[in-house]
Amino acid sequence: MMHWNSKKLVPYALITPYFLLYLLFSLFPILFSLTLSFTSWDGITTKTFVGFKNYIQIFTKDPLFYKSILNTMLIIVITIPLEIVFGLLLAVFLKDFFGKSRSVFQLINFFPYITTPVAIGIIFQIMFDWKTGTVNLIVEKLGGHAVNWLGTATPARIVVIIIAAWVSYGYKMVLFLSGLSTIPEELYESAKIDGAKWIHSFFYITLPMLKPIMIFVVITSIINGFKLFDEPQLLFQTASQPIGGPDHAAMTVVIRYYEVAFQNFQFGYGSAIAYSLFIIIAIFSFLSLKVMNRGEEA
Amino acid sequence: MNTIVKVPVYLFVAVLSLLALIPFYMMIVMGTYVSEDLYTGLKLLPGNYLIQNFKSIMEQNFFLFYWNSLYVSVLNTFGAVFISALTGFAFAKYNFKGKKTLYYFILGTLMIPAQLGLIGFVVEMRTLGLANTLYPLIIGGLANAFGVFWMTQYISGSVPNEIIESGRLDGCSDLGIFFRIVVPVIRPAVITLFLLFFLWSWNNYLTPLVLINKESLYTIPLAISTLGSEYRTDYSARILALAIATIPILILFGFGSKHLIRGLVGGSIKG
Repeated sequence: MMHWNSKKLVPYALITPYFLLYLLFSLFPILFSLTLSFTSWDGITTKTFVGFKNYIQIFTKDPLFYKSILNTMLIIVITIPLEIVFGLLLAVFLKDFFGKSRSVFQLINFFPYITTPVAIGIIFQIMFDWKTGTVNLIVEKLGGHAVNWLGTATPARIVVIIIAAWVSYGYKMVLFLSGLSTIPEELYESAKIDGAKWIHSFFYITLPMLKPIMIFVVITSIINGFKLFDEPQLLFQTASQPIGGPDHAAMTVVIRYYEVAFQNFQFGYGSAIAYSLFIIIAIFSFLSLKVMNRGEEA
Repeated sequence: MNTIVKVPVYLFVAVLSLLALIPFYMMIVMGTYVSEDLYTGLKLLPGNYLIQNFKSIMEQNFFLFYWNSLYVSVLNTFGAVFISALTGFAFAKYNFKGKKTLYYFILGTLMIPAQLGLIGFVVEMRTLGLANTLYPLIIGGLANAFGVFWMTQYISGSVPNEIIESGRLDGCSDLGIFFRIVVPVIRPAVITLFLLFFLWSWNNYLTPLVLINKESLYTIPLAISTLGSEYRTDYSARILALAIATIPILILFGFGSKHLIRGLVGGSIKG
C-alpha cells in the first residue's frame, strides 16, 4: 500500500533498539529467573538443581505464601471496587457538572498517585500513630477509643486498604475521563430530547459505553494489585513493625518475595515465588476477562 | 440541572479533593516544626523551624540524592520515550514480515509483572560489574511495552499517511520523516509518556533497594527510607525532605496534567 515498502530493512532497523534492549535486560533476566527457580542458590555459592522442589514447597509447605496471597487478594477485592466507584463518579461528575474549574479538581485528585510511596508510607505512619496520630485524636474527640492502627492485625489491614485506594482512585479517574471523552455527545443530546434524566443517561449510555475501558481498568488493577509492595513495606518499616505488619496481616506476595530473595538470599526459592505469583495473576486476569465478556453476550 | 442533584455532587467532589490534599498539607506543615513538637498534638499552622530543618537536610547530603534521582530519571525517561516512539512509528506506518506477531508479543509482555525477572536482573548486573552503579536504573526500563503499545495506537490514529507520503516525495529520509513530521504531530503523546515514565522512574523504590547499597548512589526514595532508621529522631527534617522531593513532580504535573489527559484521550485506551 505504501511505495516505500521496497526499503524492506528500514522498519526492522527502527524496531531493533527496542527488541535488543528487551532481550538483554528483560527477557534474559526473566528466563534466567525461571532456571533459577529450579535450583537452590544463595547468589554466591554453587547452584544445586532441585527440580520442582521449590514449587512443591511453596504450594504445600509455605503457610506464609498462602497468607500473602490471601492478604493480597483481600486488599485487591476491597480496593478495586472502591477505586472504580470513586474514580468513575469523580470523572462523570467533573465532566458533567464542572466547567473550567474541572482541571483543578482533576489535578488535586491525581496528587496521591504521583506522590513518592516513601512519602505516603511516612505520612500515613504519622497520621495513624497510636499515641499521637491525627486519626486517633479525631477518634477520641468523637468519643471513641484510640486504636492501635499499625500494631494490630485487622486495623493494619484497614490502613493498607485505605492507602491503596487513596493512592490510585485518581489514576482511575483519569482513565475514565479519557474513556468518557470517546462517547459521542449526540447520544446524550438525543436522550435528553427523549426526556431522559441525568441518572438514566448514566446507566443506559455512560456505563455501557465505558465497558472497554472498564475491562482495561479491572485487568490492569488486578495485575498492579498483585504487585503491591512499596506503601505497606514503608508504612510498617517506619512504624517499627515487623516486615509485612503485625502477625503478617498485611504481608503482600511481593513483600514475601522481597524477604525471601533479598533478605534471606534464597534466590532459587524467591524466583519460584515470583513464577507462582505470575501463574496466579495469569489465571485471575484470564478469569476476569471471561466473566466480563460473558456479561456482554448476555 | 437542579440544585437538589448538584449539592451532593459538589459535596462528593469537595470531600474527595480534601482527602487528597490533607496528607500533603500535613507534610508541609510538619516540615516546619521541631521533631519533638510533632508529638504534642495536632499542628494546623506552620511552625518556625523551617530553616533549621533545611540546614539538617543539607548536612545529610540530600542534594546528592536529588542529583542521583534526576540523573537516572531524565536519562531513563528520554531514552524510553524515544525508543517507544521509534518502535511505535515502525508498527504504525510500515508493513513488514512478522509485524503482527512481534506486536502481539509486545502486548503479551504487558501482562508480565516487572518483579518476575528481578532476581535474574540483579544477578546479571552483578556479573556485568554494574551492581552499585546507577546504570541498571537507567537501562532497566528503556524497553517499555506500554510505551510501544501506546505510541503505536497514537501514531496510527493521529498521523495521516498522506503527510508521510508527501515528506517522502520531497526526498526526506525515514529518520527525517520521523523527526520532522511524526514527532511534532505526536507531541501530546510524547508529553504524556514523558510525564508517566518520569514519575515511575522518580518514584522507583524496589529496584534501587535491591541493587544499590552505596550511600553516595542512593536515589531519593532509597535515601529517605534508609536514612530514616539512622536519623529516627529527626522526623521533621525527613518530612521536609519528602516535601522537597515531591514538589518538582507536583509542578511537572501541574503544567502537564492537561496534556496528560488530552494525551490519554488521543491514545489507545479507547479499548
